[in-house]
Amino acid sequence: MSNPIIYYVTLLAVYGAVYAMACAGLSLEFGVTGVINFGYIIFQAAGAYTAAVLTLGPSSSSDFQHYIGGARWPFPLPLIAAAVVGAALSAGVAVLGIRRLRSDYLAIVLLVASLIATTVATNATRLVGGAAGLALVPHPLVSLFNNNAQGVGYNVAFAVGAAVLAALCLLIVHRITESPYGRRLRALRENELAAEAQGISTFRMHLVVVMVGGAMAGLSGGILVQYISAWAPSGWFYPETFVFFTALIVGGMANNWGALLGAILVPLGIGEGVRYLPTIGSATLTTALQWIVIGLLPLVIFWFRPQGIIPERRRRFAGAPRAGTPVVDRSLVNGAELTASSRGRS
Amino acid sequence: MNGSAIVAALGFGIVTASILSLGAVGFTLQYGMSNVFNLAFAGVMAGAEYVALAINRSGVNIWICMALAALFGGFASLVLNKFVYMPFIRRGVKAFGMVIITLSVWTVIQYVILAIVGSTASSFRVSGSHLYVVGAIRLNGTQLIVIAIAVVLLLLLEAFLRMTLWGKAVRGAAANAPLARTSGINVARVMDVTWFISGVFAGVAGVALAMNVVSFTYTTAGGFLVVLVAAAILGGVGRPSGAMFGALIVGLATEVSAAIFNPAYKDVTAFVLLAIVLVAKPAGLFPEAVQRKEVVL
Repeated sequence: MSNPIIYYVTLLAVYGAVYAMACAGLSLEFGVTGVINFGYIIFQAAGAYTAAVLTLGPSSSSDFQHYIGGARWPFPLPLIAAAVVGAALSAGVAVLGIRRLRSDYLAIVLLVASLIATTVATNATRLVGGAAGLALVPHPLVSLFNNNAQGVGYNVAFAVGAAVLAALCLLIVHRITESPYGRRLRALRENELAAEAQGISTFRMHLVVVMVGGAMAGLSGGILVQYISAWAPSGWFYPETFVFFTALIVGGMANNWGALLGAILVPLGIGEGVRYLPTIGSATLTTALQWIVIGLLPLVIFWFRPQGIIPERRRRFAGAPRAGTPVVDRSLVNGAELTASSRGRS
Repeated sequence: MNGSAIVAALGFGIVTASILSLGAVGFTLQYGMSNVFNLAFAGVMAGAEYVALAINRSGVNIWICMALAALFGGFASLVLNKFVYMPFIRRGVKAFGMVIITLSVWTVIQYVILAIVGSTASSFRVSGSHLYVVGAIRLNGTQLIVIAIAVVLLLLLEAFLRMTLWGKAVRGAAANAPLARTSGINVARVMDVTWFISGVFAGVAGVALAMNVVSFTYTTAGGFLVVLVAAAILGGVGRPSGAMFGALIVGLATEVSAAIFNPAYKDVTAFVLLAIVLVAKPAGLFPEAVQRKEVVL
């Protein structure tokens, strides 16, 4: 393979890994537990800013960009911090919002929070670089590759690292979903009131879930910013959250393969696919068409395949009777039939 | 900060509140009737803006354009509910799924408009109007007419809901659709009427908004939607009079805060206000009207 192709493949792999990570977190929050987090992109953005600021070094007044809390932490720490910030912010949202609000109001409040966050990040120029954002974020561990961030070796290594982290996130979500804890989460999704009546602490479980989801979003943001080395408010405007929801609806909810497939099809597939479309009219028109496709996809999926391409596995207890087999005591059933038929005759 | 600037901001606040209340009432009517959280409301607003623009370009007076755009909004909203939302609801899509569907429809409408008109800003041809000055409040004739239209339309709606048989049917169907059906109310037709009326409000609000911000793009209505939803939630979704009240608070708060702090954070005020109210009173300011129900078939 020639270098440009390798470079493009690694780019696709990194983007795919980042989207898969974010979709895994959202799948746990929304698919498994039913938390409608319309502000999911905030946590990815927070992770990206954290990782950027912690690698850029202190901001000096002569710099072209200004931000607070600059530091130059060694490699794994900025990414860990990104995940921690994502989780901590989510915990804050959970404590303020989830405990008190109806789930649909919470969704709108999170959407609104997403707008507030972009407005503040754009206008407070000294906070995280304002509308221009942050640029020249150093690549991690580039010194091991002769400081050549454009080299084949570095790009392949970065892609492999990102893929491993994405796989780890998917594994964590898988383990949670398949555990008894996951069963409680699904109970919460299906009927919160009934779950609470069974003694499940809905708040504590929601808190744990949004923290895990937020950590994955933060980590994905951290990896993305260390790869593209720039981050600005225009990259995380609120419709981006909708892209992740579309990915889950298309791929299939509450299962890893669905999340992975959705991540590959929607943000990666549509985002990259339109590059190969013949340019119709202007760049504006191409953007418009891309968003029209993203908007139409959920409609098509909801109409033809509401469960997504890869549906959630139907779960049943081991050794449970097959569908159609009566589970009730035969004599009771007969008694019921008797009363029913006698009533019918009268 | 001098007092006159704040008083002047109150004037603009009343204009914003008028437009907001038209939108919030329309939005809340739909939610109260169908329990569909219709984010594509902004799509209808934007569509009406560009219909009005097209008519206005051919030299028609802006107020006639607004009336025609309102009619367009009414029919667009009716069609949207009858031929897009209802089939999905019949297929068993639940309340949350409907939010995603309305969001999708909104996205499609917004970017279809972008594809047709492009991203350049447009503005209406409005004949120059006199500037009226009362103390520190300075409003032009256009703004006064917008306020008047809002007041008249909201009063008409209240009268319709309270005094006519159809209004009674609307309230009955919104409160309990199955019961209304068994009482002989044609819920499907009542629903059409409600969506038509709310679409008219969307159309008027869209054109009034476009006139108020002077130059508008395909995203103007979308940006306004979030403030509008904030106002509707503040008053307790599904309750027209609450939405009016919420709009008044949000409208005044945003404009006054723009005069006191940085105007860039104008919308942030509305959202922070909403967040504080919801954390303190999770069901909005008038909780008794709000009850959780599934989408209405």
